[in-house]
Amino acid sequence: MSDLTLKSIRKSYGAVEVIKGIDLEIAHGEFVVFVGPSGCGKSTLLRMIAGLEEITAGSLHIGNVLCNDVEPRDRGIAMVFQSYALYPHMTVYDNVGFGLKLAKAPKDGRDKKIRDAARILQMEHLLDRKPSQLSGGQRQRVAIGRAIVRQPEVFLFDEPLSNLDAALRVDMRMELSKLHQELGATMIYVTHDQVEAMTLADKIVVLNGGEVQQAGAPIELYQHPANLFVAGFIGSPKMNFLPVTVKGIEGDTIVVQADEIDDLRVSIPGATARPGDAMTLGIRPHALRTGADGPIKGTVDLVERLGNETIVNFRLGGGTQWLAVLDGDMPLHRGQTVGFTAPEGEPVLFDRDGRNIAIANPQAEKAA
Amino acid sequence: MTLVRRYGLTVAALIGAGFVFVVPFLFIVLTAVKDRTQAAQLDFTWPTSFPLWENFWTVISTRDFMLITAYINSTILTVGSITLLVILAAMVGYVRQRRKAWWNGLVDFLVLAGLMMPPAVVPTIWLLQQLGLFATLHGMIFIEVAYNISFCIILYRAFVATIPREMDEAAIIDGARPMDIFFRVILPMLKPVTITVIVVQSVAIFNDFVNPLYYLPGNDNVTVQLTLYNFQSQFNTSYNLLFMNILLVTIPPLIVFLFFNRQIVAGMTSGAVKG
Repeated sequence: MSDLTLKSIRKSYGAVEVIKGIDLEIAHGEFVVFVGPSGCGKSTLLRMIAGLEEITAGSLHIGNVLCNDVEPRDRGIAMVFQSYALYPHMTVYDNVGFGLKLAKAPKDGRDKKIRDAARILQMEHLLDRKPSQLSGGQRQRVAIGRAIVRQPEVFLFDEPLSNLDAALRVDMRMELSKLHQELGATMIYVTHDQVEAMTLADKIVVLNGGEVQQAGAPIELYQHPANLFVAGFIGSPKMNFLPVTVKGIEGDTIVVQADEIDDLRVSIPGATARPGDAMTLGIRPHALRTGADGPIKGTVDLVERLGNETIVNFRLGGGTQWLAVLDGDMPLHRGQTVGFTAPEGEPVLFDRDGRNIAIANPQAEKAA
Repeated sequence: MTLVRRYGLTVAALIGAGFVFVVPFLFIVLTAVKDRTQAAQLDFTWPTSFPLWENFWTVISTRDFMLITAYINSTILTVGSITLLVILAAMVGYVRQRRKAWWNGLVDFLVLAGLMMPPAVVPTIWLLQQLGLFATLHGMIFIEVAYNISFCIILYRAFVATIPREMDEAAIIDGARPMDIFFRVILPMLKPVTITVIVVQSVAIFNDFVNPLYYLPGNDNVTVQLTLYNFQSQFNTSYNLLFMNILLVTIPPLIVFLFFNRQIVAGMTSGAVKG
């Protein structure tokens, strides 16, 4: 069993702080995805877990062992790199068996492990080839095979699919998911592709600027984003935002208004807000419905009719661009004025600091 | 007219190149198979007699088969120097390219100094004498390594830059220690530039005349280039034997060059283009 615990992990290059104190618990067997824009520190964090980057401050426990200064080979980890990093002068067989050879594993056991890994990945016929004779997908398999054969407690993947073409990426994604179920090992996966994150993860960790923005199950993050950044990052197409002012409160329902929209009722149980508070309204494109007398009025800029759904680009009165994804085929056309409604439970409100008021309410914290 | 226009320049270039490269070699071959009197005229005439075997045997057997000793010495010198050069230069090039350290500037300066500063013979001999290495074959190996290592380091460093760092990291994750990373992962990947270094340097060291002349006196220490003095002196020179000796000394490097020609060029350019 090996849980992974990160306690206020920090990383600085000179005066520049890249990772600003990350606390994270990863349970054994979990598939965790680090996701975030480029430069957010997700790869650095992974490399710190691997032992390729030094940890400036904080502690990293793998299992119950403090691993800050443990050599990568003794951490019980294996890593798959974005560029695969296969040894070009060795055959696939030797590539996969290189780690075992270094560990001086007996030849019979080594052979069995290599062939087992090859069977799991269906690449037995490739064992005698050199990496230069393989396609991208096959190279990826070899790189994963090299990781499997070490029988690690934790697999680390650094954007492993970003060098593959779109169709192959979908296939490999499913295979990785199957592999996770088969091996039952902990996997940590870095990507900037939120679709990969949503489909693969048991738990997504959204990073930005070297800090964890939110960690949780994919659907949790989609439905209850902790802040503006997560709301904008998770979900495709992107969530629509608009600055609004609280007009009134009726029980659990907050009525907001802005110049560009009429009064909109948002139902947020337990949230406290005061009339006059400035907030940011967020509505997912999929939550919008057409309704002639809806509070959101916009002029259609672009209609993409896909048959099963219609994607509408429209402009609010003040010029803010929004997006709506409507079910079925909608014969809208450019320049048309359309009204939209959103069910009371769907919109999200963020306070002045960008936090979702349904989750973290600073006023409530202060009162407590 | 069109034939001249299409091939004229090519033919002219080929004739020019042939004149520069082939004619001197033909002259060596022709003179080497002449008898002594005709060879002494040093002209481009067809040999009147072909004492090929006599010339060959005389050159080989002169001074108690000195040429054989010279071949053995030159081979030891070349193989020893090249082995050290490849391993040391690859190691320095690798570490210098990968590790960021405050002394990098100093190392670069020393490497460049090794290229630019002319070797001082007398102090070097004094130092070798103090170390007990003067007029020994291993002392000569150190000299050749010292004179040529700067160039090799620069070649290796440029090539290491083309190997992604992820390669090292993959090996680290696989459990490789620093020596494993270098010898099992990096050094095999340096093969193109290693072949370049082997060929270029072995020709240079095998053909070296001046340095063995200074640092390697003594009949037992003779190298192939020094055997040329056997047939050349102030008042008496046997040109047929001298040129036969030259021919015998030239052939081994020529064979190396013909075989590895393609790899040399590949190794020379691959580091430079991607650098």
